[in-house]
Amino acid sequence: MKISRRNFLKGSATTLFLAGFNFPVLANTDKKKNLVVIMLRGGMDGLCAVPIIGDKNFEKRRKDLILDETIKLNSDFALHPKLKNFHNLWQNDLGAIVHATNIPYTKRSHFDGQNLMETGGHIPYSIKTGWLGRGMKLAELKGDGLALALPMPLLLRGIPSNDNFYPSKKRLPRTELLQLLKSVYTDKSEHDLANMMEIIANRSMMNNGGTSMSRKNSSLAYKAGLELKKINGPRVAVFEVDGFDTHAAQGGVDGSHSDSLIEMDSIFKSLEKGLGSEIENTLVLTLTEFGRTIKQNGGRGTEHGYGSAIFMAGGLLKKSQVYTDWPGLKRKELFEGRDLNSTIDARSVYASAMSSVFDIDFKRIQKEVFWGDELINLSDKLFKS
Amino acid sequence: MKNFFRKVAFGLGPDDKTPSDPLKWATNQLNDIPEFSWKGKILPEKELRKYYRDYVYGDRKVLRKKFKNDKDGYKREKNKLRHATGQKFWWNLELCIRYSEALKSETPVLAKLWYFWGNHFAISEKDFLAQYTTGAYQREIIRANMNQNFEKMAQEATIGWSMIHHLDNDQNVGPKSQEARWAREKGKTKGVNENHARELLELHTVSPDCGYTQEDIIQMAYIMSGWRPKWGKKRLETGDVHFNPDAHEPGTKIVLGKKYKNGRKSLSDAITDLVNHPSCRKFIAMKLCRYLITDNPTEEMMEPIIKAWEKSDGFLPEVHKAAIEVAFNYSDKYNKFQNPENWLLQMSKMADVDLIPSPSFMDLYKLGNKPIKDHRALERLMDELGQHPYLAKQPNGWSDISEDWMSPELLIRRLVYAREAYYKKSDKSQTTEYYEEMIEKNYDNPGEILKIIEQHRELVHKHVILFNLPETLKS
Repeated sequence: MKISRRNFLKGSATTLFLAGFNFPVLANTDKKKNLVVIMLRGGMDGLCAVPIIGDKNFEKRRKDLILDETIKLNSDFALHPKLKNFHNLWQNDLGAIVHATNIPYTKRSHFDGQNLMETGGHIPYSIKTGWLGRGMKLAELKGDGLALALPMPLLLRGIPSNDNFYPSKKRLPRTELLQLLKSVYTDKSEHDLANMMEIIANRSMMNNGGTSMSRKNSSLAYKAGLELKKINGPRVAVFEVDGFDTHAAQGGVDGSHSDSLIEMDSIFKSLEKGLGSEIENTLVLTLTEFGRTIKQNGGRGTEHGYGSAIFMAGGLLKKSQVYTDWPGLKRKELFEGRDLNSTIDARSVYASAMSSVFDIDFKRIQKEVFWGDELINLSDKLFKS
Repeated sequence: MKNFFRKVAFGLGPDDKTPSDPLKWATNQLNDIPEFSWKGKILPEKELRKYYRDYVYGDRKVLRKKFKNDKDGYKREKNKLRHATGQKFWWNLELCIRYSEALKSETPVLAKLWYFWGNHFAISEKDFLAQYTTGAYQREIIRANMNQNFEKMAQEATIGWSMIHHLDNDQNVGPKSQEARWAREKGKTKGVNENHARELLELHTVSPDCGYTQEDIIQMAYIMSGWRPKWGKKRLETGDVHFNPDAHEPGTKIVLGKKYKNGRKSLSDAITDLVNHPSCRKFIAMKLCRYLITDNPTEEMMEPIIKAWEKSDGFLPEVHKAAIEVAFNYSDKYNKFQNPENWLLQMSKMADVDLIPSPSFMDLYKLGNKPIKDHRALERLMDELGQHPYLAKQPNGWSDISEDWMSPELLIRRLVYAREAYYKKSDKSQTTEYYEEMIEKNYDNPGEILKIIEQHRELVHKHVILFNLPETLKS
């Protein structure tokens, strides 16, 4: 019988659930290691954030969007001048970049693309869990996820009892009431609701002096850093930054793409502040649905493209580097004649990162999180073992 | 069965009698579009767009230049401009109009479907659309067409000023058009912007299920090129939408195998074909079932809706009636997790919460002043609950899937705002008898529910528990 791709993926996802996750974790080290993922929604322009130096094809195609005064990273690549915090990390071997990379999705729809960047799959909406949630399940990290957002991101689904933090100014009802609801949920087999109520009842974060907290990403990141630092705190955190979809008025150094990049940069800074020395045991990665066209459009913006870049930060990085298999920007080197190509499946980076941070054999992640897709183990090149 | 009233509307309030024929009660609400129940001021979209223009022009063309070396002065004057143009007020007024239809009208079923369509043709968070025009767009283009064919709604939404601006079609210029040529002569580039074309196919009509290609999207974008606001030095991008042939891509275009001649008429012809594509009615039927009945609609659920569509040529009252009847038939078998907005309205209706400020209070607001806290109560509440209807994150609107609403923070909001709402109730509704009667009227298992809430003595606690029981969260 011929199995279609869709059925195959569905089938293997089911197997994943039925098989259970009772394998022992391969290597358990003493230190608690953290993984942070920042989702950049709207399509982050890797060539705006990390432009190539001295490429005529690039300069010709987006002459109104070329940045002045970029920060030189090496002989080939520069950094957007507003990414000052990332640059500090870079100078201390705590920042690196993977360039010309993306998830294997080429159709340029935000909704399909964002679905796939979170599920890690090939067919939009066919998988209901996130690659990070599945990886956590494999590592038996139940209750160790924290989303700094109001709805729970798809990326973290696949393991129950994740927490989210996006503070409300009002006080919670009394504990007895929460306990009653929890027992009602349990009696009625509403397991998801019961799980949520358990987290709510145990929440310690709410009671930090009762002061109202800002929901800015920079403030959330500081809070998350403090939580990740705790030995019994969460091990995984997820952030969201919106606004990368700059079809118009993308602008230069002070344009709208810069605003979103600056927000991302503020997360790096606050996380570092909150984590303190534990930044050494943390790895931060960015994730986006696609890059943007090289050519500027009619509105001095850019269209949905393909290849982008991944920002990485933290002490679990091997060194500062721009890791890339650069495809070039001549017309015939571009994807469909218009986009930066992706020469590294971004999922190879995420699988390698989970392997390093969760201490799980890469092949198991490849097989059980990414359905045995052809991914490359980059752990040795990018991360400390 | 009683959960049907909560499933397709917001439950029964203290003055509502239990209808003897629930299905008829619901479907009778779908034939006409009554006047708004809101008795205060209602501004036309065109007028609100002028306020938007005043803000954009004042900021971009005046203040930024005048205060380019004075950051604080700029900030101060910009705040003045915000209030002079009602930036923090209009969307609160729109929410009053919106929620009156759920709580005070004779047609709450129509209101629940209005919210569905507003979210289907969503204007998501972009610039200051939410603060000025999104509410009016949902009144004048979405609700006003709910007694028309789907095609008419799709045609008007597509070339509505809000949608054109929201999805960047004002930036969409045919690469071989006159305008692109002029641009090249000046050493500039102008070209196609696919955004709106893609969403028209993906989100508004046929959905990716129909199998369109990237080439179909580009061809659709060519068809759409030239549709944009009339630009003017003073009105900037806020003029009425028109077709500008100078920016239109010449030549024949092909979308999903059909040919379209160059020109103004090609867009409405293409929309006609899209809405008549089998994938479109299937997609809409699936979404209606997903909104009203379950996260995972079955073919059997969708079928009667698709049939009603085919029989009536997509006449929305008939499509709606079919959807409501399916919801009725599956009422006992499926419960749908209610999104925060529908949950809030359900609680407000059944428990008699004074959610909406009065028209006379709202009309006290004077342009130029900073609105007081109570004028802004609804905007803040919706933001806190995690679902401001005019601030969806993406053009696909707010999610209909329960998982997307299941997180500790979102449930915390329901706990704390159930409590807040209790203190906005009339005295007469703050009695045990009131609750007993309301539960009897709105739930299929009143005995069981009363037994649970009786475990807490204070009425406010009973209230918080009731509105966080699975029976309420899922209707």
